Amino acid sequence: MIICKDVHKFYPLGHGQKHVLKGINMTVGRGERIGLLGRNGSGKSTLIKLLGGVELPTSGRVERGMTLSWPLGFTGGFQGALTGYDNARFISRIYGREYTELRDFVEDFSELGVQLKMPVKTYSSGMRARLAFALSLAIEFECYLIDEVIMVGDQDFQRKCHYQLFDKRADRSLILASHSPEIIRSYCNRAVVLHEGTGTVFDDIDRALECYDML
Amino acid sequence: MIRELNTRFGRENIGFLWVMVEPLLFAGLVAITWRAMKGPEEHGVDIIVFVISGYIPLTLFRHAVTRCIKVFEVNSSLLYHRQITIFDFLIVRFLIEMIGAMLAFTFIATVLHFFGLFPAPKSMGFLLAGWLLYSIFTLSLCLIIAPLSEFSEVLEKVLPVATYIMIPFSGTFNMVEWLPAAARPYMLWSPFVSAMEMIRYGLFGDAVYPYYDVSVVLVVAMICSAIGLALCRRVRRRLTVE
Repeated sequence: MIICKDVHKFYPLGHGQKHVLKGINMTVGRGERIGLLGRNGSGKSTLIKLLGGVELPTSGRVERGMTLSWPLGFTGGFQGALTGYDNARFISRIYGREYTELRDFVEDFSELGVQLKMPVKTYSSGMRARLAFALSLAIEFECYLIDEVIMVGDQDFQRKCHYQLFDKRADRSLILASHSPEIIRSYCNRAVVLHEGTGTVFDDIDRALECYDML
Repeated sequence: MIRELNTRFGRENIGFLWVMVEPLLFAGLVAITWRAMKGPEEHGVDIIVFVISGYIPLTLFRHAVTRCIKVFEVNSSLLYHRQITIFDFLIVRFLIEMIGAMLAFTFIATVLHFFGLFPAPKSMGFLLAGWLLYSIFTLSLCLIIAPLSEFSEVLEKVLPVATYIMIPFSGTFNMVEWLPAAARPYMLWSPFVSAMEMIRYGLFGDAVYPYYDVSVVLVVAMICSAIGLALCRRVRRRLTVE
């Protein structure tokens, strides 16, 4: 169970402050797949970062009752100067996994081949997405935090992710930030619409998408 | 976990040895200049040994302090993993500098000792205790400077100057013994001086008369750490990660 209690986030903006999130309340149960909907700049990524503990809320609490992945996106979680293998080794250490198992899974899932010996900063966004998914799937989190922009992979990769996340790990939770109705519809069973700093929770995806269209 | 981070840094810096070589070069050159300017001895102690023993701890301080500027911002992408805290950044960077400086010291002492230019330490205990105090105090200063550097750009510019100005108060090139008796107690307010005096006493033994006050060092270090930790908490709340 992940619980957000009255989460506020301010960012400094010139001399003033920008109130990005104005009291978000939500709970994510085991196996729930939440879509975060909202326009650009509505605070989707901010909320994902707060959930993942990358940044801390200005006020309010985030309680994590299950293991949560780091927010999967292009930038975070990697050391650009290190190779794919080095990143895998680093992640296997800090998450306490056997490096050899992790490496085998990453090689198999990401299909990056010799590219894994290159620094991550030379990767294209699709390649980063493959590496990020491979690593986080290998760690076996109970809940995955995903920034939609990372769903850019080709058809084959999309299919693989779908298979790994739904068929093999149907019991896991998912929090997915997106503004694409198709992706939300195919991955999620609940949705939160973020607008002007407040979040509205919908148990029905179609209602959520309707509401999102009205914005 | 800290060790893991450490190895990562190790691999990143292929030339880890540079950490050691730089203070060596500096200390060596400064020592030679002083030797040329002032002759072989000053106040009854060998000048090369004296300068080296002062300069290497000083480089530790200078490097540690410069390296901790903006350390949080630079490493922030690692915060994506919740196991890693901002203190890991600080401690890892500090340990690298500390190990580098200590290796440099050991290396140069051994080499010079081999040529009969460097004495065997009279008291290993004092030498190590002095180093330890010096390091503890430096770390406590880093705990303050690192978060402050995130708040203000000015600090970054002022710091190099500040580290130069503090040299006379750091015990690097002088001993309290050489000062008029009236001035001596004031010097002991600087934790660096106490630590340096202990290092010197460990090296030269009874050839020097050390003035030091361990409790001042520890108390100042504790106060600095407390302030530093509070500042770090503030910074963590405000840190924006890309």
